[in-house]
Amino acid sequence: MSRTPEEIVRASLEKHGSGREAVMEILTDVNRELGCIPEEAIIATASAVGVSNAEIYSVVSFYSFFSIKPRGRHIVRLCSTISCVMSGSAEVLEAVKGDLGIREGETTPDGRITLETTSCIGLCDQAPAMLVNDEPHTRLTPETARAIIAGLE
Amino acid sequence: MAAGKRLLLGDDQPSIGEALIKAMDMSPADVVFEVRESDIRGRGGAGFPTGIKWNLAGAASGDHKMVICNADEGEPGTFKDRVLIEKMAWKLLEGMTIAGYAIGSSHGIIYLRAEYPYLVPILEKARQDLISQGLLGDDIQGRGFSFNIEIRSGAGAYVCGEETSLIESLEGKRGEPRNKPPFPVNSGYLARPTVVNNVETFAAVPHILLGGAEWYQGLGRDDCSGTKLFSISGDVENPGVYELPMGAALRELLELSGAKDIAAVQVGGASGSTVTPDELDKPMSFSALPPGGSVVVFNSSRDMLDVLENFMEFFVHESCGQCTPCREGNRRLLDIIRSIRAGEIASRDDLKPFFLLADVMKAGSKCGLGQTSPNCFVDIITKFIAFPGDKEGA
Repeated sequence: MSRTPEEIVRASLEKHGSGREAVMEILTDVNRELGCIPEEAIIATASAVGVSNAEIYSVVSFYSFFSIKPRGRHIVRLCSTISCVMSGSAEVLEAVKGDLGIREGETTPDGRITLETTSCIGLCDQAPAMLVNDEPHTRLTPETARAIIAGLE
Repeated sequence: MAAGKRLLLGDDQPSIGEALIKAMDMSPADVVFEVRESDIRGRGGAGFPTGIKWNLAGAASGDHKMVICNADEGEPGTFKDRVLIEKMAWKLLEGMTIAGYAIGSSHGIIYLRAEYPYLVPILEKARQDLISQGLLGDDIQGRGFSFNIEIRSGAGAYVCGEETSLIESLEGKRGEPRNKPPFPVNSGYLARPTVVNNVETFAAVPHILLGGAEWYQGLGRDDCSGTKLFSISGDVENPGVYELPMGAALRELLELSGAKDIAAVQVGGASGSTVTPDELDKPMSFSALPPGGSVVVFNSSRDMLDVLENFMEFFVHESCGQCTPCREGNRRLLDIIRSIRAGEIASRDDLKPFFLLADVMKAGSKCGLGQTSPNCFVDIITKFIAFPGDKEGA
């Protein structure tokens, strides 16, 4: 059974403490497990650390990898910075969008995949590249990217 | 021209712990002195002298001094720290431990960018290996010196590569740069005296300790010290990380990586400078072409306006929004780039207000992001873009 946002925050507090400096760790734990940081987690974190909800919300909204909105079971982040673009990331993006029937920033209706574009992910020597959850995939072509994404459950 | 000696990624590596043990045989002040005499300057891009940083943090009053590794390389085209961690994570940890000994700190943090989650197990393993060999942790080698390292992740923000933003982020806040002073060496993480250095800087430290300051200095060229890792990508046959003497000519790197039909080269990432084929003999040094970690090559098939638009989209996305000249300026520059593309700008003279805006951004932004993001606009518009109204030969 999956844990509630509050349970994840509580477990994270035990690991990282309740100091303000634990906030990134707590939010990362929630974001990783649920794919997003729901309001309940923001409230629980704020009250544990002793700051306002707005303060935690502003932190969540600052970082690209954190999301308030629910996301899919898998998060695909395709690099849209220069070396990847020069190696064909735009064609890869078009192919993936076509297959999934969504645009960047959206989630498939079945909740399987969220598609995002991202700033440089430091794989420029193996461009074009993407991260699928925590895994890097490199030297993509429209075909290989489609196959990788089709294989996600 | 000889390629020079490879230290950081060379085949001939010192044994693990050798440099740390040598450091612990010296006084902390002598370790700082050695690093200062080596003239190594920060490998993240800003180039602040590492020894001076250590000296200031060591002399600062305050308990619980901190050693922080900036593993948040986000400059477009930079991946040298990824490769260094993949291949030599132990050396980074050993360099941090030596820094801890030198400044009197027992606590280190690696701030790893969120885009590199797959490096966490590698760093974790290196950490455990060092602990089991008695080279990290409590009472290292029975010398009474303890040093622990935590690995923490960012969450995707280019600006967190700026050291005060990085510290804010570690403190659980938005990664917005701080006003300086106070500098982190006096008041950094949790207001403690803090040294923040790049991955590559820490990894160079064991070599400096073992080879000596004078030897290390002699490895550089053109008033630079030591070796440097360069990430090269774009229109080259063999993209990757190359280690050359700091201050080596750009041409040397381009030849090694098999760049052909070169029309333009971006040195130092999107925030760096865009150079023409006439400038390839310039040294990649702090005074001529500061390299940071990134070199991207464009051949004659590339439209430099596309390149500029991509860079400016990046900065619009990554500006933290704190300083108005940066937040609004990058948007205005992106708008005008799109107007140029649409053919709405007849001549270079029409862009005068935007060159003024670029100057305002450089002068009026708090951190390196807004101070450097207009560079690509100025360079590319000045050197690479022709306008219908330009006079012949202008």
